[in-house]
Amino acid sequence: MTDSTTTPYYDPYDFDIDADPYPVWRRLRNEAPLYYNEKYDFYALTRFEDVERVSLEWQTYISGKGSVLELIKSGLVMPPGNILFEDPPSHDLHRGLLARVFTPRRMAAIEPQVREFCARSLDPLVGSGGFDFVRDIGAQMPMRTIGMLLGIPEDHQEAIRDQIDEGMRLADGAMPDRDQSYSVTMGSGFEEYIDWRVDHPSDDLMTELINAELEEPDGTRRKLTREEVLSYVGLIAAAGNETTTRLIGWTGKVLAENPEQRAEIVADPGLVPNAIEELLRYEAPSPIQARYVTRDVEHYGTTVPEGSVMCVITASANRDERRFDDPDRFDIHRKIDHHLTFGFGIHFCLGAALARLEGRVALDEVLKRFPTWEVDWDNAERAHTTTVRGWESLPVFTR
Amino acid sequence: MPGWRVVVDFDLCESNAICAGLAPEVFEVRDDDFLYLLEEQPPDALREQVQDAVRQCPKQAISIEES
Repeated sequence: MTDSTTTPYYDPYDFDIDADPYPVWRRLRNEAPLYYNEKYDFYALTRFEDVERVSLEWQTYISGKGSVLELIKSGLVMPPGNILFEDPPSHDLHRGLLARVFTPRRMAAIEPQVREFCARSLDPLVGSGGFDFVRDIGAQMPMRTIGMLLGIPEDHQEAIRDQIDEGMRLADGAMPDRDQSYSVTMGSGFEEYIDWRVDHPSDDLMTELINAELEEPDGTRRKLTREEVLSYVGLIAAAGNETTTRLIGWTGKVLAENPEQRAEIVADPGLVPNAIEELLRYEAPSPIQARYVTRDVEHYGTTVPEGSVMCVITASANRDERRFDDPDRFDIHRKIDHHLTFGFGIHFCLGAALARLEGRVALDEVLKRFPTWEVDWDNAERAHTTTVRGWESLPVFTR
Repeated sequence: MPGWRVVVDFDLCESNAICAGLAPEVFEVRDDDFLYLLEEQPPDALREQVQDAVRQCPKQAISIEES
């Protein structure tokens, strides 16, 4: 249905485009592999090869001015310690503290607890005729898991999660104004626990961060400041809640649309891990990343000047026909070399193993109780935030 | 005969263990959660698997050096 006489237009703040951006992204890949948006003054790359290369060339495409379009445009100075908005060497020093906290091995150790969180959410819903993939499980289990890892008391987890979600919400058709509070809200709500944990150490990440020693570029070692601990904790909470919540929402939607494949997984739960991998490829929860360009670079014969904002559309790269056969087909048997949903290179998602575990366990536990469902489209609701694409609510009928 | 060897940047490695899944004869993540390079100069028969590991390592911490 695309009109080939016009130039394709992509706008990350337009809710109508966001509802199904794949046709526009396909046109960008084929007709404007280097895209320039005049309205918001940014460039975009959409092909797998380009997105992967930009992700690896961190010297040219930096994160130090933010990794979200409107954040870079705001010109705010990023506070230290948020590794999403840092470059080497400080990025590597700060990331090093967390690098071995979320490894596949360490995440495998918490699988029983993650299963238990799923059971707590799902068991009461058995026999009720339906449930909400996002509100009942997607927004619950990841919050409990990250809350457990950080050591946040359960009765405070919801308030903190809602505050984070609110801070990232978008209004239709406009680039939001971001003031300094944006980067700070990521940490808010945690101050009291950090102060309390200083006096009451426990076996959790917050205690680990309070006691951690950071090596400065000159080799000296020091403890983290309170602000830095806050920054780490806020980032972990935000990243650990929001994205996996959307993955679980997409799981409900895409499998409802592919009932034969869902039935195959029910018959053989060994298919779950690859189904999650394909879901990650097919509907990337965080579809677009932004970088600040530090020198003039050329793409497809056009010079992108120093100081520009380059967006890399990872969700488009995952649907690049140059890389994946029949990319718009969802196929739980697809052999995926690698997708770019978690990024690639130095900023590769630190929580990838946790997200995979949570996605896998959630699907497994849902299918055990509800082998079939249909989406209640009249009541489904999209999420519109600055960093993710997905569902705010995805109610389903089970029978 | 020209040879090749596997090089791992252990400062970059975060034990994602993708390589260990693709080429278990060459890469192993042990109980201490660190990556061990089992064979620095693996036989040519393993080259394709090592190349897969180089390409898929999310931190791009592995490379092949020709000698």
